[in-house]
Amino acid sequence: MSLIKQLWLTITGVLLLTFIGSLLVGVTSSHQYIEQEIRIKNIDNTNALALSMSQMDKDPISIQLLLAAQFDTGHYQLIELIGPDGEVIDRRTASEAVSDVPAWFRHLVSFDVPAGTAVVQDGWRQYGTLHLKSQHSYAYRTLWQSTLRLTGLFGLIAVVSLALTSWLVHTIRRPLYHVVQQAQAMGERRFMTSKEPRTLELKTLVKSMNRLSLAVREMLNQETDQLEQLRRQLQHDAVTDTLNREAFLDRLANALDSEGDIASGLLIMVRVTHLTEVNQHLGHQATDQLLNQLSRMLEQLSTSPSYVGRLKGCDFALLLPGSDQSEALAAQLQQGLEQLHQSTEIALTTPAAISHYHQGQSRGQLLAQLDGALAQAENQPIGIITTQADAEAVLFTTHDDWRAALQAALQDGIELAHYPVISNQDSLLHDEVPSRLKIKDEWRTAGLFMPWISRLEMNAEFDLAVTTQALADTAQTGHPVGVNLSTQALHKGDYLTRLINLIQQHSQWAHRLWFEMPETAATQFPTEFKHLCEQLSQLGCQVGLEHVGPQFGKIEGIEDMGLHYIKLDATLSHEVLLNPTKQSLVRGMATLAHSLGIRVIAQGVQNSDTSEQLFKLGVDGVTGPGVRQDKKA
Amino acid sequence: MTHPDKVKHSPSMTRRQSLRLLGGVLCLSLWGIGSAGRVEAGLQPDRARLRQTMQRAYGQKGLAVLEQWFQLLDQAGQGSLAEKLTYTNDFFNRQVLWVEDPEAWGQEDYWATPLETMGHGQGDCEDYAIAKYITLLTLGVPMDKLRMIYVRARLGRSNISQAHMVLGFYVKPTSDPLILDNIISEIQPGSQRHDLTPVFSFNGQGLWTGGASQSQANPVNRLSRWRNVLSRMQAQGFGV
Repeated sequence: MSLIKQLWLTITGVLLLTFIGSLLVGVTSSHQYIEQEIRIKNIDNTNALALSMSQMDKDPISIQLLLAAQFDTGHYQLIELIGPDGEVIDRRTASEAVSDVPAWFRHLVSFDVPAGTAVVQDGWRQYGTLHLKSQHSYAYRTLWQSTLRLTGLFGLIAVVSLALTSWLVHTIRRPLYHVVQQAQAMGERRFMTSKEPRTLELKTLVKSMNRLSLAVREMLNQETDQLEQLRRQLQHDAVTDTLNREAFLDRLANALDSEGDIASGLLIMVRVTHLTEVNQHLGHQATDQLLNQLSRMLEQLSTSPSYVGRLKGCDFALLLPGSDQSEALAAQLQQGLEQLHQSTEIALTTPAAISHYHQGQSRGQLLAQLDGALAQAENQPIGIITTQADAEAVLFTTHDDWRAALQAALQDGIELAHYPVISNQDSLLHDEVPSRLKIKDEWRTAGLFMPWISRLEMNAEFDLAVTTQALADTAQTGHPVGVNLSTQALHKGDYLTRLINLIQQHSQWAHRLWFEMPETAATQFPTEFKHLCEQLSQLGCQVGLEHVGPQFGKIEGIEDMGLHYIKLDATLSHEVLLNPTKQSLVRGMATLAHSLGIRVIAQGVQNSDTSEQLFKLGVDGVTGPGVRQDKKA
Repeated sequence: MTHPDKVKHSPSMTRRQSLRLLGGVLCLSLWGIGSAGRVEAGLQPDRARLRQTMQRAYGQKGLAVLEQWFQLLDQAGQGSLAEKLTYTNDFFNRQVLWVEDPEAWGQEDYWATPLETMGHGQGDCEDYAIAKYITLLTLGVPMDKLRMIYVRARLGRSNISQAHMVLGFYVKPTSDPLILDNIISEIQPGSQRHDLTPVFSFNGQGLWTGGASQSQANPVNRLSRWRNVLSRMQAQGFGV
């Protein structure tokens, strides 16, 4: 039985007991009082009448008259005069006239009052015995009515008490309800605190719950921090806090394989020559400081996302996806290096090389090319050599040419490639559908044109065109499709409205659309991203983040965004088989994501062994070159 | 308020019966409907209590009179009706000095209990009548044969009349009663008492029924002089 019900029963019981108790007391005392009054009246009136009769002549007519007068003008049930031999001299009776009192009540409270008795004297002799009973039916009515009144009054009191009770129950129930909500929210990894009620016991409960809520939140934060620490250990150079060689090369390979707008950009290498001598001159600490200074300078060269890595002890690299402003960058780098030189006591030689990269290039070739350029630059203190882009990789030389070509290609239509995302049950989660555009009579992969779409800010039209195509595709194949949206979508005028309109026109397929954005969308524009999530979720679409790194737990308000899935950065699944630290990292991320109700998909999976390992680590789905669906689910 | 008779008469009562009885008694007391016990023939005075009361109120002298009264009860109890009447009448006429109420009790018309009358050694007419009435009841004379009678008494040969009370003994309701009086100590039939004119008579019947159940604490009893004195007697141990 619920506590509330018990409370109700108790209060009703107490009310009922009180009612019965006071009814009993009330009726009993009235009953006693009335009975006593009747008894006294019987005795007194009998004596008075007998006294009068004793004084007069015992003429039967006079006796009768006296008796009748007394009876008729008073309230009597019985007056009788019995002679000494038991014969009735005169008798008057009236019925016990009770009209509107239920028989059971009369029976229950029946009055038992003996008749008054007195002897009428005739000289020394006794003339007769007088018996007199008062009419007391009015007493039943009085008692009945007072019972009814009491019942009515109690009814009123009961209503008031029950109203008070329901208020009381409400005040108990509300904090309890909040605590339940809080516990449920905690289950969904949302941490809220509720207002403390005034009732002491409930206050303690709510207080403890609030404390628990905060503690669990704290715990999750710690978990995220640990993951971050782990990632740093794994991927970062201890001295300069830049990416280590492996992490950087992973990142580069990822960019070169990309179908997105990171597929082309700039790669810069800076070398501090004669590092051993520098170390000897400056000492260990100052050298470390110098390298740190260089790293910070490289990180600050660009405002867009960039990656700095330490490839060897003396070699630093900067990856700038999406950028093509090599001249401006060279100038900035020149300036930065000059400052570095000035702030150092000894003469430095820091040659640098800048190179464009684009999708499909070999990583080794690219690095070798930069290495060669560095060698040329080494004879100057600050020599910056910009290698020219591959002539054959360059389709157009000016922005205008690119714009015209892309617009034409969009007019011609988009083709979608299909790469399955497979769940751990070997069923298809969705198809990744990187787009293909026909440029210069050839179907070109996204890595080639995506950086240009971004540079020329054509994302809105492009995304809408891709979504249209994706809707057509899913209608045809019946497979869910994953569509990439660009970050620009978040703050570009009517973009979202147009997207929603488009989906609403094909609302029957909306549940098959999986929209994803880069992690930076959520870190840079959390409010807008949350809004987008809500809008698209309402339509039935899935929303996720891609290229997600281990810090994703730190994203502000991640638990409230209503995110459906994340795609792990491809560098996380790279060589996960061999690297135990990476395994812990992936496992930690999967646990954290699941605790937030988010599915985890690994990208860039090379083979089935890796898939299996990832599933073991708790990943829900995999995609990449080594993933294909064997059995149709 | 329990019912001693019932309990006494069923010593081997089963548990269920006693529960039922208890329930009944509770019920009755709750509703205030106590069945009044019937008066049995003869009062059963509680002598120890009477002695105690007398000792406290009137000391050794009163106690001596009380002991004589007990003696009277013991002796006359064995005797005939005539002896009972005579002994009783003589006892009080001898022991009690006739005074008017204000003298004896300092207030008009104070009705004294037999114990007070004996202790005090004086009393007025109704004190005599009450004392004799109670004594005869104690000796087993049926109550319906005894009536206290208000009479108008003519004193001596003068024409002065005064209110007086005597005790009448009726063989039958219609018969000529024997009068126990303190003006003329000899018991005579009413018809021979030309100095007395009867006005009204009463006894404990009707009232008496309530006597057992109505405690002295009941304030209503004090309102009637007759019931008041009955209540006091009960408290003093007359077994009323």
